Amino acid sequence: MTELHWLSAGEAARAIAERRLSPVELMQSLLERIGRIDPRINAFIRLDADAALAAARAAEAEIAAGRIRGPLHGVPVGIKDIIDVAGLPTTCHSKILVDNVAGTDAEVVSRLRGAGAIVLGKLSTHEFAIGGPSFDLPFPPARNPWNRDHHPGGSSSGSGAGVAAGLFPIALGTDTGGSVRNPASACGIVGLKPTYGLVSRRGVFPLSYTLDHVGPMTRTVADNALLLNVIAGHDAADPASAPGPAGPFDHLLDRGIGDLRIGFVQHFHQTDLVSDAEVTAALDQVALALREQGARVRPVALPSLTEFAAVNRIILTSEAWSIHAPWLRSRPGDYGQLSRRRLMAGAFVSAGDYVGAQRRRKEMIAAVQDTFRDVDILLCASSMEPASAIENAEATARTYPRQARTPFNVTGHPALAMMSGLSRNGLPLSVQFVGRYFEDSTVLRAAAAWERASGGPKHPPIE
Amino acid sequence: MDQTLVAALARAAGLEKALADHPEDVAAAAAQAQLQAGTIAFPTDPAAEPWPPMQAGDRL
Repeated sequence: MTELHWLSAGEAARAIAERRLSPVELMQSLLERIGRIDPRINAFIRLDADAALAAARAAEAEIAAGRIRGPLHGVPVGIKDIIDVAGLPTTCHSKILVDNVAGTDAEVVSRLRGAGAIVLGKLSTHEFAIGGPSFDLPFPPARNPWNRDHHPGGSSSGSGAGVAAGLFPIALGTDTGGSVRNPASACGIVGLKPTYGLVSRRGVFPLSYTLDHVGPMTRTVADNALLLNVIAGHDAADPASAPGPAGPFDHLLDRGIGDLRIGFVQHFHQTDLVSDAEVTAALDQVALALREQGARVRPVALPSLTEFAAVNRIILTSEAWSIHAPWLRSRPGDYGQLSRRRLMAGAFVSAGDYVGAQRRRKEMIAAVQDTFRDVDILLCASSMEPASAIENAEATARTYPRQARTPFNVTGHPALAMMSGLSRNGLPLSVQFVGRYFEDSTVLRAAAAWERASGGPKHPPIE
Repeated sequence: MDQTLVAALARAAGLEKALADHPEDVAAAAAQAQLQAGTIAFPTDPAAEPWPPMQAGDRL
């Protein structure tokens, strides 16, 4: 049998439901691993071990009595610390909110509990999902389990590091400019930013109202679809929530891709931001593998990454300023320097530029929508190089913006990042799949095809 | 951006404390905003509307 810490959520849930695996045994195994490994990678801000173990015992008793709550009954999950879990602080990794205890669960946490998942604790993030990796915050930054000297991406950094290191099989992250897909790329896991409006943001500390998404982070594509099945769906209390039914998202994973038309956005990594040679080679390998499975792959063009990034930042900083202005005025020294600089930028954006960016955004959406008339999936880079050394602030500042994730926060299309290979120095490389609105299942289908071709998930050498 | 103008804008935004304690961060924030706004090809057609749409939909 697979070691317990490398079980997928789906495998664990099936074994628990069939009483081949005790949720208590699984939880104890993961808590032992967390105790051994987490001090080296700092995935957790707060581990809620006693409550998690008590929940595992309760799950065991319920299942023994024949009551299966849902598809994740007894499965541990980690929660990014900008998402509310009742009774635990939502610190946003910041001194500003270090004592901010949540009164109720976020909608996504409530849905996880309804499906039987067990919350292990709160996970490291960049401060307020924007300022990091930083060493001037109340908690240390998460580190990359493939190489502790490197960053794990962000802002959902603890989610990425912990899933990759086998501390928990699934986690929630959030994505405003790529913050689910960046750690998925850096840590070699699967991270999906769903279609805007598909997953509720209620109970999630906002960064930017029109760009924020909550997304699943997992080691396998099937787990990603399983987690999305649980968290997706209309929430009348979230003004951005899309009406109507959602899912299922796991019904196309084995269907093959012989009928898919794939647009390869090569200019993102060939001319807009020239990628590392290993990233380029890995992307070409993905395209080849998809062709070999019958997909038709051809180049397509979108607006430039540089302009997508600028539109994202003008909107993000304007909306974030409206949230953070009171604290930036009264407590600027309580922010880390990266957050302070990035959030204060909103004070210098004119109202005209903000609305202008939203108008340009509509044109960019139209450009992507036009492309989806001729293709079913977009294939493109995620990060332009593997993760840099975490203590090299210059390298991190230079390489963090070298990515192709922000376009799909601007447009709201579903976008998934996953491993495309390993670099010569043993760090994950990444690829991104993008789909039409509410066709998240097709994105997962393309990702599953690449997962099969690549031989499945790889685990970091950390024990 | 001219630093006198940056300071005036910062004060107008209520950032006196940040301006006093973290002037280099205020300057960096202003430079960042200016750079980003200067990168966007803002629509020139007055009929070009923003997204999200400014409409009521079926509920407010």
